[in-house]
Amino acid sequence: MTTLIDRRMGIFLAGLFVLTVAIPVGNLAFEGKVVPSYIVSLLGKYLCYALLAVALDLVWGFCGILSLGHGAFFALGGYAMGMHLMREIGDRGVYANPNLPDFMVFLSWDELPWFWMGFGNFWFASLMVMLVPGALAFLFGWFAFRSRVTGVYLSIITQAMTYALQLAFFRNEMGFGGNNGLTDFKDVLGFPLQSDSTRAGLFVLTAVALAAGLLIARAITTSKLGMILVCIRDAESRTRFLGYRVEGFKLFIFVVSAMMAGVAGALYTPQVGIINPGEFSPANSIEVVIWVALGGRGTLVGAALGAILVALAKTLFTGWFPEFWLFALGGLFILVTLFLPTGVLGLIEGVAGSRGRRARRASAALEDGVTEEGAKA
Amino acid sequence: MTVQLLLDGVSRSFDGYKAINDLSLAVDKGELRAVIGPNGAGKTTMMDIITGKTRPDTGGVWWNQTVDLTRIDEAGSARLGIGRKFQKPTVFETHSVQENIALSLKAGRSVFATLFHRRTEAEAARITELLRLVRLEGDRHRPAADLSHGQKQWLEIGMLLAQDPELLLVDEPAAGMTDAETMRTAELLRSLAGKHTVIVVEHDMEFVRALDCRVTVLHQGHVLTEGSLDHVSANPEVIEVYLGR
Amino acid sequence: MSFLRACLMALLLPLLAAPALAQTASFEDLVAALPEGSYSARGAVVGDIALTGDPRAEAILTALLDGTLGVIAATGQVVTLAPAPADALTGAPVAEAGVAEAKVEKIRVNNGLRRDIRAALGILTLSDPDPAKRLAAADAAFRAPDAAQYALLDAAFQREQDAAVKSRLAEARAVAILDGDFPDAEKRAAIDVIARRGDADAQRILTPFAASPDPDIAEAASAALASIERSRMLWGYAQNIWYGLSLGSVLLLAAIGLAITFGVMGVINMAHGELVMLGAYTTYAVQETIRQNAPGLFDWSLLIAAPLAFVVAGAVGVAIERGIVRHLYGRALETLLATWGVSLILQQAVRSIFGPNNREVGNPSWMSGSFDVGQMTVTWNRLWILLFALAVFAVLLFVMKRTPVGLQMRAVTQNRPMAASMGIRTNWVDALTFGLGAGIAGLAGVALSQIDNVSPNLGQTYIVDSFMVVVFGGAGNIWGTLAGAFSLGIVNKFLEPYAGAVLAKIIVLVAIILFIQKRPRGLFAVKGRAVEG
Repeated sequence: MTTLIDRRMGIFLAGLFVLTVAIPVGNLAFEGKVVPSYIVSLLGKYLCYALLAVALDLVWGFCGILSLGHGAFFALGGYAMGMHLMREIGDRGVYANPNLPDFMVFLSWDELPWFWMGFGNFWFASLMVMLVPGALAFLFGWFAFRSRVTGVYLSIITQAMTYALQLAFFRNEMGFGGNNGLTDFKDVLGFPLQSDSTRAGLFVLTAVALAAGLLIARAITTSKLGMILVCIRDAESRTRFLGYRVEGFKLFIFVVSAMMAGVAGALYTPQVGIINPGEFSPANSIEVVIWVALGGRGTLVGAALGAILVALAKTLFTGWFPEFWLFALGGLFILVTLFLPTGVLGLIEGVAGSRGRRARRASAALEDGVTEEGAKA
Repeated sequence: MTVQLLLDGVSRSFDGYKAINDLSLAVDKGELRAVIGPNGAGKTTMMDIITGKTRPDTGGVWWNQTVDLTRIDEAGSARLGIGRKFQKPTVFETHSVQENIALSLKAGRSVFATLFHRRTEAEAARITELLRLVRLEGDRHRPAADLSHGQKQWLEIGMLLAQDPELLLVDEPAAGMTDAETMRTAELLRSLAGKHTVIVVEHDMEFVRALDCRVTVLHQGHVLTEGSLDHVSANPEVIEVYLGR
Repeated sequence: MSFLRACLMALLLPLLAAPALAQTASFEDLVAALPEGSYSARGAVVGDIALTGDPRAEAILTALLDGTLGVIAATGQVVTLAPAPADALTGAPVAEAGVAEAKVEKIRVNNGLRRDIRAALGILTLSDPDPAKRLAAADAAFRAPDAAQYALLDAAFQREQDAAVKSRLAEARAVAILDGDFPDAEKRAAIDVIARRGDADAQRILTPFAASPDPDIAEAASAALASIERSRMLWGYAQNIWYGLSLGSVLLLAAIGLAITFGVMGVINMAHGELVMLGAYTTYAVQETIRQNAPGLFDWSLLIAAPLAFVVAGAVGVAIERGIVRHLYGRALETLLATWGVSLILQQAVRSIFGPNNREVGNPSWMSGSFDVGQMTVTWNRLWILLFALAVFAVLLFVMKRTPVGLQMRAVTQNRPMAASMGIRTNWVDALTFGLGAGIAGLAGVALSQIDNVSPNLGQTYIVDSFMVVVFGGAGNIWGTLAGAFSLGIVNKFLEPYAGAVLAKIIVLVAIILFIQKRPRGLFAVKGRAVEG
């Protein structure tokens, strides 16, 4: 039917591959002279954001569910990984307690809470990275979609969800380090997190995860199920009358997306070195939306690009004129919604493709263009 | 003859306004039935109730005399074999014409069935056949948004046929069509009767006459009278509330 | 007067264990009598001094208690030694040299006398001309039960004219009765008096008596405790309701502007919180100007700030509507994103102009302090904010239901094309509606500046909560917003004692998320066919 790797996906994946090879080589082979080590972690962080953006694009771009709480799934994945990293510290903490993380010793807890059990095992933690956000998404979506909460109402309650989680994680009694979150990680699977080779490894892993995420998302959206998602986005009620249980499809894509966001968060934690309740803040989740909108809704590759562009701009701005960053970000929100309904990708392909579009339509060869080109803002 | 669809004393009100008031209606299997009535007679609400979009306050709705339709949602009614065509043509605008048909085809409706679905030869052939029937073969790769109003009507009829439903609920199919197209639609619906049960809601009297079938007149959410078009046209009450306007 | 004093003296039984000086003795004589005689006799003198009500009495008795009262042996002159030697009666300095030569002796006190002095000091305050001081003295006596003070308290009770002080004295006296050796009947009466207070103090005092060996007393005390428990529970509810109403009024103020833009116009204004913040900063600017130029006007600052905040926030609101929102009608999700952008810009703008730190906004005198209603405390600023919120609500309701502008707004809400074809300038109505919602946000900012930190993040604190109120109450219905705000406020405050503030908030959020599943369009949803689909 449709090709899994179309032109834009091909170009992006090729670029990503070049980056995946060049950055670690540039860093390791030249001892940080060509590519400084901090750049490796920084780019790794960007790629985590890109994966998060792809996850959001799946639900928003294709299914019309504007989640203002995707940061919560990201953060939960991050916490799951952070819990494992905390357990790996072992007795090297300040209090040198082999069984308890420092903050628990500080709270004078005697034993590990039950929900920390098993996180010493890397594979268990890796599973939880997907299962915990997935379970939350399932629970939340099952309630919300079944009772047909849609549009801005859904957006607002997703925002309330992440806000509630943020408040909860701020509490010391929750057992996730309270305000400070989880930090002071030492190593992962025995590799020291401070070493250049571990960082490079994490970077490559993130790039692979992003590529895999993009391909999975693409496979889903080009399947018949993907077509139905677009139907739901454009005419939900009509889709029901065709016999499709809309809530089931929404739930599926919401859970898949949440798991993807969880993976992004899990890769984020070791590269940034900390995970704290700030990641749950509603403002973070809304920022993800602008990445997707900037890159182009329903384009997957555009979402990833948007995330990288905004994150890069943020790094540069906060270095040069920190006080102007919020002006720039705020302006971006306004300009993109008003003037760039199809995002940067739509703009580029619109200019480049205006020549060939008529021909392509007539030739009827391009079947896969339907969802992307027609995607409404 | 077995009764395909039975509405038994159905009532539904919205904020005190009785959209449907003690409505009873029986449609036989394979029957072609026209439902007419002035604006606000409750035609659309009746369809909403049959398809599970709206729940009646009182009364029963029975499918094949065994299934209680009041307990079933829209998707459930579609899976039972009730197909609906809307007054305002509603197609999936960003999908191509042929995708619209493909998505309507009788096939697994579950999440995982659609995730792993591969189009079969038989399906492709059926799509082409249907496109030919609704005369959209040449437009099969165009986004549905590009179609004219009349073409969208045809596409929706095509989608309805693709579902291969036992009962077709057709709401004003002739709106926006040329006279010739209107006649062709009537002919198509007549040919479907027998194999399928068809209920047509229509304003256009010429069209109803062309359908040449039993007519039910709705007024204020209630059945005013029923019979052949000539019979109901002669009814003074009908003339007063509807035809006489 | 002397008769009254005679009566009082008769009642001062514990102090009158020894024959006192002549009852008509002058204050000077009494003071002169302080250094000599047995401790018990001097105790009586101390009581007499207190009963004179002489303004010098307190200083002299305090000095005696502190051990800084002395007597010049040669002359018998009573002097205070601290800070510098001075005549106790006149306050005239006594030459240091003279003191040294003349051999001053400290007037000695023992524990028994100290107790007499304290009791006397207590009674001194009990006869203070200021009723507030008498009330405080009675309270102090109530909290520290001492049978020895019975006579003093009873005397004060008999002579008291002020009703509030009198009832408090009755309670204090009752406590003293319970502490001492009095007949059962009196003790039971005392228990009744204390039980009528119905507060924590009463509970604390009565609790030991429930286990009294005397069955009558124990029964009376238990019954009294049960009634106190009930009354405390009721007052606890009342206090929670008050806190809830207070929180609700804040939520109402923050949400009601949102209810207009979201409910009436279907527009999500994420910058709403920042419009509230602008209102708060307007208040700050007005107060700063007043502080520098006309400090006398400070009490009027809020009244000046309110219309200004309305105008400032309203103008920004109209600008947002004209510049951004009107291009996005019918695209609620895009509006949400664009207005979020506006909120970021407004936050940063305020941060750049006023700095990132909290700004001090003062309470005018009429908003400071608090008063008690029964067992609950009501602060003036919370009360004013509640009244203000209700007033804003009433005015808004009036505007929407009774004015031509409101009629046009509702018409545009219900059927835009029809309204337009009837000659309503829908553009103008949109801008006005949005401006009205924004202006009310500004008013909310004035109120919030009185109870919250004024910082660039002020708006963010309220945005999720106010959305919850609107969604819970039901969009498109400002009565729903009222009900939503107060019910959320009260539920929150009732949960807090059990769950703590943060957990209570989380529970409420989760409850709303679940509630929306049941009623996707809120508590007071607009029903009907138009809304379906």
